[in-house]
Amino acid sequence: MRPLWKIVRSIWAREWWSLTRGTLLAVAVLLAGVGLLGLSGWFITAAGIAGLAGLGIAFDVFRPSAGVRFLALGRTVARYGERMLTHDATLRSLAALRVELLKGMLRLPHEKTAAFRASVQLNRLTSDVDALDGVALRLVIPLLAAGITLTVTLVTIRYLVHGWMSLAVLAGLVPLTLAALLLLLLRSRKPARRAHTAQNAFRMRVIDLLRGRTELAIAGRLQAQCEHVLDADRRSRIALAEADRLERNSGLLISLAETVTGGAVLALGIFLAQSGMTGAAFAALAFFAVLALGETVMPLRRGFTEFGKMVDAARRVAPMLQEVPEGVRPAETPVAAATVDSGGAVLSFRDVGFTHRGAGRPVVEHFSLDVKAGETVALTGPSGCGKSTLLALAAGIMQPSHGGVRVGGEALTGMPEARLRQKLGLLPQRSALLSGSVLDALRLGAPQASEEEAWDVLAVVRLDEAIRARGGLSSLLGESGSGLSGGESRRLALARLLLRHPQILLLDEPTEGLDRATAQAALVGIRHYLPQAAILIASHRKAEQDVAGRIIRISPKTSRSGT
Amino acid sequence: MAAAEEKEKPATRARLDAITVPVSSQLRSAGLLSVLAALLWYGQAALVADVFSALAAERPGLVPSWIAISAFLLLGAVRALTGWRAGQLGFEAAQGAMAAEREKLIARESLRSPLSGASASAEVASLAAEKIAALGPYITRYRPAMLRTRILPVVIVAIAFSISWVAGVILLVTGPLIPVFMILVGLAAREASERQMQEVGTLNTLLTERLRAMTDIRLLDASQRTVEGLAQGAEALRAKTMAVLRIAFLSSTVLELFSAIGVALMAVYVGFALLGEISFGAYGTPLTLFEGIFLLLLAPEFYQPIRDLAAAWHDKAAAQAVAGELAAAEAAPARTIAGTGGTSAQLAQPGRLITRGVRYRTPAGGELHFPDLGIAIGGKGPGEKIAIVGDSGAGKSTLLALLAGLARPSAGAVEIAGRPLDDDTADAWRAGIAWIGQTPHFLNASLRANLLQGVQEEDAADLDHALELAAAGGIVSRLPRGLLTRIGETGHGVSGGEARRLTIAAAIAAKPKLVLADEPTADLDEETAELVTAGLIEMAEGGAAVIVATHDMALAEKMDRRIVIGDVR
Repeated sequence: MRPLWKIVRSIWAREWWSLTRGTLLAVAVLLAGVGLLGLSGWFITAAGIAGLAGLGIAFDVFRPSAGVRFLALGRTVARYGERMLTHDATLRSLAALRVELLKGMLRLPHEKTAAFRASVQLNRLTSDVDALDGVALRLVIPLLAAGITLTVTLVTIRYLVHGWMSLAVLAGLVPLTLAALLLLLLRSRKPARRAHTAQNAFRMRVIDLLRGRTELAIAGRLQAQCEHVLDADRRSRIALAEADRLERNSGLLISLAETVTGGAVLALGIFLAQSGMTGAAFAALAFFAVLALGETVMPLRRGFTEFGKMVDAARRVAPMLQEVPEGVRPAETPVAAATVDSGGAVLSFRDVGFTHRGAGRPVVEHFSLDVKAGETVALTGPSGCGKSTLLALAAGIMQPSHGGVRVGGEALTGMPEARLRQKLGLLPQRSALLSGSVLDALRLGAPQASEEEAWDVLAVVRLDEAIRARGGLSSLLGESGSGLSGGESRRLALARLLLRHPQILLLDEPTEGLDRATAQAALVGIRHYLPQAAILIASHRKAEQDVAGRIIRISPKTSRSGT
Repeated sequence: MAAAEEKEKPATRARLDAITVPVSSQLRSAGLLSVLAALLWYGQAALVADVFSALAAERPGLVPSWIAISAFLLLGAVRALTGWRAGQLGFEAAQGAMAAEREKLIARESLRSPLSGASASAEVASLAAEKIAALGPYITRYRPAMLRTRILPVVIVAIAFSISWVAGVILLVTGPLIPVFMILVGLAAREASERQMQEVGTLNTLLTERLRAMTDIRLLDASQRTVEGLAQGAEALRAKTMAVLRIAFLSSTVLELFSAIGVALMAVYVGFALLGEISFGAYGTPLTLFEGIFLLLLAPEFYQPIRDLAAAWHDKAAAQAVAGELAAAEAAPARTIAGTGGTSAQLAQPGRLITRGVRYRTPAGGELHFPDLGIAIGGKGPGEKIAIVGDSGAGKSTLLALLAGLARPSAGAVEIAGRPLDDDTADAWRAGIAWIGQTPHFLNASLRANLLQGVQEEDAADLDHALELAAAGGIVSRLPRGLLTRIGETGHGVSGGEARRLTIAAAIAAKPKLVLADEPTADLDEETAELVTAGLIEMAEGGAAVIVATHDMALAEKMDRRIVIGDVR
């Protein structure tokens, strides 16, 4: 509840003017609807009475009929204004919500962000944000508008008709409607969650079925996996059916509430009119106004159905909007290395070890290494020996379990992130690109880079020909850089990094997916482009080791050192 | 563009109709019940008119008031229950139709050959999950609204004419204008809503690609700029979305305006007629108060079905888009695997695997020719080791797929122990094969479950031994929960080389008669490549025939013979 309240407040605070006007217009729409029907009912009954009494001439027809026309047109115009205002405000606030979310996520510790590579997590996050989109439009505004409209209507009936009539409407409409909404509020969360889980499982199992088709067919498990997929669909259908039943039940309750109120207003109207406590025309006014109240209640159903989903979504999203202090990392185990002279090395590892949380054996143990400016060092060893982990430790995106890393003689611990990034660049094994032009992609890390510099660096990684063939620096990349081959996107990511001219360059299998000649040319080009940089390569290919001044072999789980 | 749309329409419409055929009787009942619910309200309206006209005239009504009120309550309750039941039937019809479509789609996609040209798995998943779900509102909302629109306005116009021809004319004049406007503005709104869906989708895409690239963005110290970029993109999207929403809102405003004008005209006409200022319209006698109130209550009901239909308009557009996609997917020629991919006992007798004049037409249109092969399978002693070599694109992987029945030759035949590899034999044949792919896919399950996929239960105990033989024990012990670690997209990852070694362990545990390995050493460092090669030789020693498709000459040299393909095209 509290996180949702927080998000509602932040949305309202940002767009209070549009949302307040939107709410007022929503009230105007509903009241005009009530007024239109009430006035029409009164007008016709009163006209009928006057006609019967032969007083037709004396009856003022113009004001009521002008009122009917005014309410009918005013209502339509107000509806248009309300829709425009609230949708605009909602779009603004949902854009703002996404921007805040990105900001918050970019401040999270690296270990936590790694999980969001998987599309399941991303899907959940986007569906959470989507769920929150409706908070103002479908929950808060209809609730406020319904409350105000009902109050105004009841007070008006009290003065125009009779206090008992107001009480009858209140007693007939409110308890059953509240019961219906409470039913949704309390019971719709569970089936919605179950449906969501089952739908996620369905999607994931379909992807497993399609990507693992070959393996499944060979293992004779293809039919079983199909069954597994359809099983998730069945589970989601059962949950959805339950959610639908709840919604229909609550609709039934509201519908019954309207009928009961209608009947009560009819009966009371007859009684009041016959006992002279009000006129027949005013009794008709009350009945017709109550008919229009149905319109205020029905829109609430959707908001209340989604309420549980919104609470859940807010609970997950709100913490990510919180501010996290930047750049401060947990302290490492203090080591004597603090006093060790790194001998002019710009990058030094001292007795570094790393163990995955909960894993028995460490990935890296007692690793020490110094890399000097202008030097190229290759780390080799079988896959899984910890090469990538060492680069990640040096780049500060993982924290060593013991030992320490120094960059430019300064301990990584407590170093502001901006300074670290300025000195040191890492090309991870998998890099991600964004949609936009090639130049945008290159300028992500170096916003001041000129087109000339961009072409230079593309030539270094042997990508200039391919980009020229695509249509130059302004040619567009698709979502997450689609449109480039695997090797091309890798080289573009490399070029993007080189353009920052880091003093220390960490490359994780930089020539993966490149043919031998291109790989060699690119590696030589990098050294020419950054003659003074300390380069550390996690290498699995001979081409990479050929350009290295030193090769450090790492065997899994054994202590190694090279100085 | 318009011409293309016209051409597409019949196929799309037919496909859309086909979706609801299996549930048509349920759907019809749901629609008719929703019509009935509306008709019940007309009855309630008549009772209300009677009560108030009697009250105004201070005389008893057609029925005593307590009966009128009881009947009002009863009809209301029946109407609520009818609506409830109509909703249930509609929902069930939608669920049934969507389940059937999903089942068909999954069955078809699962049997698609891996060589059929990759249908992107994410796209198929989104078709099966979200897009098919878009058929729901079409079935539950649009179809009943369509039925109501066909029946109810006609009923009300008939009632109105029977009371007063002026009332009938008011409805007739404002009524037909609505469909005209609906067509004009609805077309614009449909396009608008389609574009709006795209825009909201784009906003999420902008966010997710940034979240996916979070590590890169931070490594490039580009957080600030990225946030600003997203804010600008979102603002541009908002402006565009509002421009298209304006059209959609205008269209529904026009609809509402017409129904408001119609109801107001009716109220004014009835009022003037009752006062005696208008004496035409009603037949013979002047309009009575009963008739006036009844007309006033029915007038909004005349427009309601049309407005419901307009509100459900984009449900139909969305369903049409899905039907179009389904029709297009079905129209694409299907290349299927042989057999069903189900469980089967292994082919019993040992024999030879033979290919005769096998050709394969690629999706791109070229034709691959393969030399004839003969390989002993399932005999005593060590198995034969064969390398298939050739240029990229010569069809090495294709040949492996053909041998496993994962694709069907366009000419020639594959035979095992004298029987052709076809739908009857493929499953049993594959039960004796192990496959080592270039990029093995791990299912979203524990590592153990992944490795034991193709393994008989009684052999499961040998997994540890198999992991040692494949030099993959170390990989498992580094994972947080060993063999029970959840692997796959939501779980822990392993590197490419590790995945390859784990697959070899799985192959060893499966005790196959034939091992098919596609580029098993590509992109591996030399040490890992040696471990993988050793694992393959190990399996051959154990009696399995081994066929590798490879570029790697070091690996090819360790095989007993080499088959070069691709020189004949």
